[in-house]
Amino acid sequence: MGTMRIDGHDIPFQENDNILKAALAANIEIPYFCYHAALGSLGACRLCAVEVASVDPTQSPRVVMSCLEFARDGLNVSVSAAAARQVRQRVIEFLMINHPHDCPVCDEGGECHLQEMTVACGPPYRRYRGRKRTFTNQYLGPLVHHEMNRCITCYRCTRFYQDYALGDDLGSMRLRNEVYFGRFQDGPLTSPFAGNLVEICPTGVFTDAVFRQHFARVWDLETAPSICPHCSVGCNTLPGARDGTLRRMRNRFHPELNRWFICDRGRYGHQYSEHIDRPLTPRVRDEKVSYREALAAAAEQIKAARDKTSGLGSTREDLESNAMLQTLLNKLSGRFATFSDPQIETATVAAVAALQSSGGAPSLAEIEQADAALVVGDLTAHAPMMDLALRQAYRAGAKLAILHSGPSLLARFAATTLTVPPQEISAHLLRLHEQATAAPTAPTAPAPSNKHEKELADIAVYLTAAQRPVLIGVSETMAVPEIAAMVQLATALGSRAKLAYALPGANTYGTILLTPTTSTTAMLEAIESGQIQTLIVIGNDPLGDARLGTRWRAARRHLSTLIVLDCVATATAEAADILLPVAAWAERGGTFVNYEGRAQGFAPVFQRTEPLPNTVEVLADLAHCLELALPDAAAVLSNLFPGYQAPLPGTLGSALSAPPLTMQTGTTIGPASSAHPGHWQVALASWYGDDPLASYAPALMELAPAAAALIHPTAAFKEGIEDKKQVRLRGPAGTVVLPVQLNNDVAAGTIALSRVTLTQLGVGHGDLLELEHIS
Amino acid sequence: MEAVLTRHIEANAPLDLEAYRSVGGYRSLDAAFARKPEEIIEIVEAANLRGRGGAGFSCGLKWRLRDADAPRPRYLVCNIDESEPGTFKDRYLLYGGPHQIIEAVIVSAYALQAEKAVIFVRGEYGKGGHGLHRAIKEAEMAGLVGSNICGSGFDLQMEVHISGGRYICGEETAMLNAIEGLRPNPRHKMPRPSVKGLWQHPTTTNNVETLVNVPHILLNGADWFRALGINSGCGPKLFCVSGMVHQPGLFELPCGTPARELIFEHAGGLAEGRTLLGFIPGGASTAFLLPEHLDVPMDFDPVAKAGSRLGTASIIVLDDTTCPVQVTLNLMRFFARESCGFCTPCRDGIPYLAQILATIASGEGRAEDLVLLEELSGIIALQSFCAFAPGAMIPLISSLQCFHDHYESHIDTGCCPFDAVNKSGA
Repeated sequence: MGTMRIDGHDIPFQENDNILKAALAANIEIPYFCYHAALGSLGACRLCAVEVASVDPTQSPRVVMSCLEFARDGLNVSVSAAAARQVRQRVIEFLMINHPHDCPVCDEGGECHLQEMTVACGPPYRRYRGRKRTFTNQYLGPLVHHEMNRCITCYRCTRFYQDYALGDDLGSMRLRNEVYFGRFQDGPLTSPFAGNLVEICPTGVFTDAVFRQHFARVWDLETAPSICPHCSVGCNTLPGARDGTLRRMRNRFHPELNRWFICDRGRYGHQYSEHIDRPLTPRVRDEKVSYREALAAAAEQIKAARDKTSGLGSTREDLESNAMLQTLLNKLSGRFATFSDPQIETATVAAVAALQSSGGAPSLAEIEQADAALVVGDLTAHAPMMDLALRQAYRAGAKLAILHSGPSLLARFAATTLTVPPQEISAHLLRLHEQATAAPTAPTAPAPSNKHEKELADIAVYLTAAQRPVLIGVSETMAVPEIAAMVQLATALGSRAKLAYALPGANTYGTILLTPTTSTTAMLEAIESGQIQTLIVIGNDPLGDARLGTRWRAARRHLSTLIVLDCVATATAEAADILLPVAAWAERGGTFVNYEGRAQGFAPVFQRTEPLPNTVEVLADLAHCLELALPDAAAVLSNLFPGYQAPLPGTLGSALSAPPLTMQTGTTIGPASSAHPGHWQVALASWYGDDPLASYAPALMELAPAAAALIHPTAAFKEGIEDKKQVRLRGPAGTVVLPVQLNNDVAAGTIALSRVTLTQLGVGHGDLLELEHIS
Repeated sequence: MEAVLTRHIEANAPLDLEAYRSVGGYRSLDAAFARKPEEIIEIVEAANLRGRGGAGFSCGLKWRLRDADAPRPRYLVCNIDESEPGTFKDRYLLYGGPHQIIEAVIVSAYALQAEKAVIFVRGEYGKGGHGLHRAIKEAEMAGLVGSNICGSGFDLQMEVHISGGRYICGEETAMLNAIEGLRPNPRHKMPRPSVKGLWQHPTTTNNVETLVNVPHILLNGADWFRALGINSGCGPKLFCVSGMVHQPGLFELPCGTPARELIFEHAGGLAEGRTLLGFIPGGASTAFLLPEHLDVPMDFDPVAKAGSRLGTASIIVLDDTTCPVQVTLNLMRFFARESCGFCTPCRDGIPYLAQILATIASGEGRAEDLVLLEELSGIIALQSFCAFAPGAMIPLISSLQCFHDHYESHIDTGCCPFDAVNKSGA
């Protein structure tokens, strides 16, 4: 747009850039505290002072704050001018009046912006002779540690927490040099993005409470570019390890995905790899054995079973591991599948097919630009960073519509919220499609209850009026008809509409590309009919599956050998005949394919003191024992995906070339017949910490909501159910007694339950359940 | 001069609507509605009515800063967040004559074609604020506030907002934040409140004393108003005198009345045997003046020429028993306490200065402290976010100049010389 001069260098700038932004973009250092690329300019810290020459040569130059001054063509700026340097020095002197001199023992030491700025611009000696101001710290929960004395009042924390992430339980209080950033009273921070305070704070007020428990100086941490393993978004991260253990997680900038932030599951979920029960020693039956012995035992069983061997991959395992297992099974002429629940498999295949045919999912940066969005399901728990992206769209004025069955944190920002039972979602979507296409023909689907007609019409109006509408579905709580209905709606809205699905694992898209047709049911039936003797499971937990766990546990009895490769102590790993512990993701390299189909490489960050082999190595060793020639992962993948090149860790990632999938047909979520008087529909009350890996992260789990049966107050009143009263729920897998919690975000006739409770009962989202009063 | 603004002020029993009307109240509405809004702005401009809140900016010009065709809704904010130390003039107007304020707001809002007026009242003036609120309800019942006022077709809603009670809320943009229910930090002034103010709508803010002049100007004309002042001043002015005088108080006098007359005639002069050390002419954030400035007319330009500001025209008198270092320390403690905490120089710099001043005042100062005070106050005044800190630095910088010897004697003798004087005097 134009050019200005900074200390003799010509610097280009864009329209509406301030001097600071343009300078930083050109790699010119101007010190600053309160400015942040995501939060913009504030003008509070006064550190970014620069000298600007006046256009009129008779006028003397002015010192201005570079974050508040627009860049202009021909502007002559000096960062190094004595006047600007003096202002910066005084600002540092003021800030250091009250800042404790605890740098040698401060958690932030080594990556403290205040420390760096003090060294770079501050006075070398202290002149203030008075007392320092002190504060009382607060307990902010298990994730973030509070040390208010270090505060330099840059307001970044509240601007992120309140303004950016739309949280409401952390704010600025009091005034003068006693401004206090905290909660109204002690207690855990409630935002799923609270952990970003650790990185957004330029000094050590908010530090990582988990990292603190097992602290290392940051310059001693081993790091390498990584990808978050907890959901399908694929946020870029930077793990830090020391002495053979993983200590912490930081955000790593990706311009189209997570940019400056990650969610708390991404930041704190990594503790699963240091869980006290993590399997570290191979086991055959109940005996601890050496790796070689376990391998030999596995090979012996596979040799005995021959083609009666099958393999179950996983959506949380990387592309390489799944591809290697698939190749091994091909060599053995055995079956290969990647899902433990066929319903989720079918829905996910449909979702990926839909993404391929709709021209690709929007990146997070594109979701932020949406001016209207429809969300189906609880996005916060399944793809927290998509939620954060939608919050940015909301802040910019986008209209959000949410169609959901159970609680959703995003609902409070929605212009329209439709809370409907799981089995009615599909009909609502079809009706919405009719409204959006303005085709007032006879409804092709069973008409949703009339009371939602107006809301659906509202949604149709702002989706059709939008320039950049986005439709996002949570595939785990959807079936093919729901997914197909969203595709139909997207098609009706035209090419400006973008479609995305939050998929149920870090590498779901990748595993679907490997197994484009559904194969779980066939495998499960083959096991049940005795056609399979040996099952190799990598990173999956069929025996702990919510809906099908009972059936898998029964089927397991038909197996002569269950071989499990995993890094967490799942029900399946516990039940394994042969358990081969493998490296967790940060201990090995690999590739995850995110919800957009973007393949991203992650690097090995560190080695454990007693290194564990990774899944690919175990499978290769196994093949060697079986005297099978197995190509390496790279060869396997380039065979599967023409022109495949492993995406380098630290790059932006790339799409895989794969043939388009076809969307299969399927029934709507839940059992076929919907008329079950006296039954409640079950909705998954998901929580952002409940994915299969993060469930093993102790600090995060401290925040897990207490188990309860969530019921809408009206529905509860009709049935004579009172708040906090105990009710008994009976499911195929067992009986659970829970207190009732009245919740306005639960659909009528629906009972929302946590993932743990669903597993205990043996039911899934959309299933039916009987509820018994306990008098 | 016959009292204009305080003529119908009854501090303990303010006139109700009927009584106020019986002494000629609300007559200016007819005068206003008979004119085009633009004409009223021209008259106010011709009267040379300057802002009474402290800055002395031309009221007519300020009204013109808001475009005549600015998008609606438009707001008028009347500022009664009077918190400047030494200043108690708005309080008098608020407690003693709420209907005069309402009348002034109506005609000013008509001139600005604003449909909503918010009267922002200092937190500690709660009782006065409630009285004003009741008066507004009275006026609403009488059809003076609301839709189609007196059949003019002009609509105006009026509300009282009682402040949470901080000095910074009197700052124009901090006040807008406070009204919106936000933290009262000042806003960045681009775009200006006249373009994007309350809830991002065009907003004009005036001090209450400024506005109460408007009805009188409308009724009596610009020339009458200008003629009320003396020594280049225009119109009547409320002066507060406090400090070491016999009869501190509020005096309505022609704008331009010399300080000598205010201190020695109206406020009764100093105590027996005392001499004048100096005075602050316009509230805490104005520079000290010395005895040699006693004949300076108390009007905006002459006081500015003398090196200070008329500010709120609130004189604080120091006599020869008052330690100027203590006075300055007192002021710095006030400003340190009232900083909103937004920007670094103000939040952390002013307490730093107060700490240095405390050391000097107690006799523990060092010679280099004076250099430090000068250096820091210069940076704080120039590099803060809003006008608060620059205002706070004015009395400090001028105190260092006017009373330099006193500072040095504190440092040289290691004690406060006034302690000894006052003890021996007592």
